[in-house]
Amino acid sequence: MRLRSVSVALAGVLGLSSMIGLAGPAQAAAKTTTITFAYDFPGPDFELTPLVVAQKLGYFSAAGLKVNVVFPPDTSTTTKMLTTGKAQIGFLTTTDMGVAINAGAPILSVANYSMRNNWALFAKPGSGVTAANLKTRLKGKRIFSYGDTWTEAMLPFVLRHAGLSTSQVKVITAPTGNDLNYLLAGKVDFSTSTTNYEIPGFVGSGTKGKLVQILGTAVGAPDVPIWVYAVTRGYAATHGATVKAFLSALKRATVWAAKNPVAAAADFTAAYPKSGYTPAYNKMGWQLTVPFLTNAQGQYFVQTNAQWTTLATALKSIKLISSVPAASSYYTNKFLP
Amino acid sequence: MRNVLIPIVSLVVVGLLWQAIVVLFHVAPYVAPRPLQAIQAVTQNWSSLWPLTLGTIRETIYGFFTGAGLGVGLGVIMAKVPVLQRSVYPVLVTSQAVPIIALASPLVLIFGFSVVVMVIIVAWIVFFPVTVNVVDGLSHVDQDFLNLARVYGASRWRTFVHIEVPATASPLFSGLKIGATYAVTGAVIGELAASSGTSLALYQEHANTNLNAAGVYGTTLLMTVIGISWFLLVVLAEVALTPWQRRSVARRYPWSRRG
Repeated sequence: MRLRSVSVALAGVLGLSSMIGLAGPAQAAAKTTTITFAYDFPGPDFELTPLVVAQKLGYFSAAGLKVNVVFPPDTSTTTKMLTTGKAQIGFLTTTDMGVAINAGAPILSVANYSMRNNWALFAKPGSGVTAANLKTRLKGKRIFSYGDTWTEAMLPFVLRHAGLSTSQVKVITAPTGNDLNYLLAGKVDFSTSTTNYEIPGFVGSGTKGKLVQILGTAVGAPDVPIWVYAVTRGYAATHGATVKAFLSALKRATVWAAKNPVAAAADFTAAYPKSGYTPAYNKMGWQLTVPFLTNAQGQYFVQTNAQWTTLATALKSIKLISSVPAASSYYTNKFLP
Repeated sequence: MRNVLIPIVSLVVVGLLWQAIVVLFHVAPYVAPRPLQAIQAVTQNWSSLWPLTLGTIRETIYGFFTGAGLGVGLGVIMAKVPVLQRSVYPVLVTSQAVPIIALASPLVLIFGFSVVVMVIIVAWIVFFPVTVNVVDGLSHVDQDFLNLARVYGASRWRTFVHIEVPATASPLFSGLKIGATYAVTGAVIGELAASSGTSLALYQEHANTNLNAAGVYGTTLLMTVIGISWFLLVVLAEVALTPWQRRSVARRYPWSRRG
């Protein structure tokens, strides 16, 4: 999902060099397995915080792992990096998983990253739009999209909820644009993104007022997790212990980062000082991510049949995929710590 | 005939190599399609793709002529006013060092999501090689020809039209050919940044997002065909307008009067 500006991402790619030397404390296990982790975006951002924490606190090295992070040239290439062996573990949106399985890619989600849907529509401060009056305020309006599968999948639900068809609004797709700039400049009426990215961006812009936020789940979008960790089925079959060790270390780090959001965000900033994002942006972004990492039972990572069936049904209804396969086609919980 | 056959054979060889790599290495269709699958992705969706292709062609043409016109005009002025040349040249070079992608967003903020942004981006790419080549061409006109014109009492305008412009034709067309090659790239960048609804670049973007590799490669082929066609049209224009480059005839435009 392309929810972050490409310009910042490009700057972030330059920060890749900062990963050099980012090894954990000297707790090297007797045998170290090196794995490559492919992110979902061309540059690093605060959603990598758990991974950075796992590196910094030595959780990976304690588990006998050396994890190299790579960034895809675009948001659609992570799947291909997994299936061509360029990476062993990837970070994907669940919609990308749905599309990949539909295209025949042999990949498997091994853990949720976030547990709920924080995708939203945003309007300028003072616009007076609310979830209650959205139905009357959306018709004929310009809605920004980065062209990501998540927005492609969620927007039809919102429009249906508002009793509108896609022809009754103007969806402006600009993969290389910056939605907040366009929204605040009045070039679009609504932007679409996730709360953890959009709100820090707005605050960082220094614009007065409060960004109007209408959470997708309040206006018809299904409440399903957005991001997952995935591997190929072949890798899962042959390297199950490695996947389990990775998730175990990552869960420790995620729990720590959720309990210590300020320190964790600072760790991310230190790991990627040239990412193009400010420490304040990273801190706020990570703090806004934390509430979405657990389900109602306070669990991390756990996937359910319901989440995948709901998502696949949604994707089929908008013809993004051709059929709804069994939930087991998408995921397994067997590697969870 | 040989001039036509050789490029065709080269393209067929590239297609066969592509096919062989995909088959031999068992490349999954969502990673890279076979050549025929890419072509089918175009033919089977032609009714959707044709209007989008026309849009890209339109942006390419508008931007190309805008950029070429500006390039020629600026080149002539710079060549004739040395002070201007010295002051503007560094600005021109700097303008080309600015990443186009970084320009797109401010242009959208100024002009909105419209074809104007795409035309500006294409023109931005095209005008520089044209300007540079026109300046170079006009700066290197054979001094003997200019002296001869002066001896015959030719006006500055007639000297410009009958000596300087023909002498600049060759470098000008070199600049136009470079611009023609990159114009479609500019149009695609513009479409990614400023499409108000649909476009060929967004079609490709959606195909990429949906792991439809055949669609991605098919649209890439379409964009390539636009670029090559435009380049060939410029070459044809060059052949028609500069006959002296291929035959022993005086530098004179086909429509100019004798004597």
